[in-house]
Amino acid sequence: MKIRIEKASCVGNARCAAVSEELFPLNDDGYIAVDAVDVPPGMEQIARRGARACPERIIFVVEEE
Amino acid sequence: MTTAALSPAVPKPAHVADAVVYDFDMFQDPAYVADPHRRVLDMVKHAPPVFWTPRNGGHWMLVSHEANFVASRDVEAFSNGFATPAELSAIQLRMPPGTPHIPFPLPINIDPPDHGKYRLPLQRVFSPKTINELKDSIRVLAGELIDKVAAQGHCEFMAAVAEPLPVVVFLKMLGLPVSRMEEYRALVAEHMSDPTPDPMDSIKKLWKITALLRDDVLLRKDNPQDDIISMLWKAEIDGKPTTLDDMENYMVLLFLAGLDTVMNGIGHGIRHFATDLALQDELRKSPEQVGDASEEMLRRYTFTVPPRFVKKDMEFMGLQMKRGERAMLFLPAADLDPKVFPNPDTYDLKRENKTHIAFNAGPHRCLGSHLARVELQIVYEEMLARLPRFRLDPAKPPTFHCGHVVGVSTLNLVWQA
Ligand code: HEM
Ligand code: SF4
Repeated sequence: MKIRIEKASCVGNARCAAVSEELFPLNDDGYIAVDAVDVPPGMEQIARRGARACPERIIFVVEEE
Repeated sequence: MTTAALSPAVPKPAHVADAVVYDFDMFQDPAYVADPHRRVLDMVKHAPPVFWTPRNGGHWMLVSHEANFVASRDVEAFSNGFATPAELSAIQLRMPPGTPHIPFPLPINIDPPDHGKYRLPLQRVFSPKTINELKDSIRVLAGELIDKVAAQGHCEFMAAVAEPLPVVVFLKMLGLPVSRMEEYRALVAEHMSDPTPDPMDSIKKLWKITALLRDDVLLRKDNPQDDIISMLWKAEIDGKPTTLDDMENYMVLLFLAGLDTVMNGIGHGIRHFATDLALQDELRKSPEQVGDASEEMLRRYTFTVPPRFVKKDMEFMGLQMKRGERAMLFLPAADLDPKVFPNPDTYDLKRENKTHIAFNAGPHRCLGSHLARVELQIVYEEMLARLPRFRLDPAKPPTFHCGHVVGVSTLNLVWQA
């Protein structure tokens, strides 16, 4: 599973990082630091929750197998 | 109880269809002032998803979640600027020589792309990392305020806890003297109370704020300390050093945004707790759920109504809007929209989707949200830990005030001391 983030539209809510700082690292100004994440096995559920938590709806889970 | 008169209704412009007119005075509607979110729920059911009200000079209200979400992110259609910086310097030039600088609350009153360069210097001070370091001192302060009233078995919660806490935290962060808290509070209350501000009146009020702050702001320029004012003096805006004018622009905004919001959020939350003893019991047993409880509180009782200006003649969700018209983002209604939050009136700790827009969405999304969240959560935790079950005082029901901030005026609580 992968996560894709429209980084340019991030407004620094940090709601994703509140779900998992590991999957959703922020930079010093509180904006998302990455635009793609490979979700380690076992963290799929957390990844989905993080994506749902984004008020800007800019985090997308790419299901693949 | 006094009921203030509604503002006069103005005639409906020709491009507004009869079907989208709904009479609502966002400052004085009696049912709204009596119990704000009950009235909001009523409007979510019965008012059009976007409507035009003839009150307060006539303006749009955006009710549905979709309308608010789209409008807050479409900065080409809806503007935050009541004037552009160029228009403002033109006004300043028409004033008699020696007139003080007209403060321009930044970054809230400016649209992208310029918005970003004024927001950036503030972003780091309000980032989750910086705010987390304040947690311990906020907890101590909250504990002290609650302990002061614990033995008496009752309190007027707004004056005892909800007001002083965020104001003291904020004055400390800014590096302003806590001893002058009452003066600051009086100015905020005055600023927020005027329903239809004549531009010159609001400028005069902003001048009062900058006058109150000026000495302390200047003091920090040469004697920097560990506070926001000192930090902003060291920052650069667009590659240029900060000027006193820039400082005043920031100060008026931080002053208004930081003092009047959190206290009302705390007020709405504690009022709910006081009517929901089962929730109190559950959270006393499992305090690790207070974070979730606080998010659902923000959704259920969203309380700010940011204004926008229509930027061009356009069609929005099937309606004709004209350049220069005012539109209110009615966020309290957006977060009670059943399309996004099933059974919106139910306070549901286990609600699957709590992704509310109490702090709005889009580029102006609240800069202070991390600080606000920490303060709300800590107050709830300390209230539940330090007091037994608390309820509303049946003899003195809570009172509210409405406007761009829908706030709690008084909240009388009782408990077994
Ligand atoms: C529960 C408390 C709070 C709520 C509900 C709240 C809500 C909001 C909302 C809805 C906006 C967007 C306004 C718009 O779109 O025009 C906003 C912006 C803002 N808020 Fe808050 N706020 C809160 C606390 C704070 C605090 C404690 C601060 C502290 C400094 C703060 C500072 C700001 C600033 C600077 C902006 C403007 C950001 C920009 O224009 O880029 N807020 N707030
Ligand atoms: S929740 Fe969304 S807007 Fe917020 S920091 Fe994460 S990606 Fe950015």
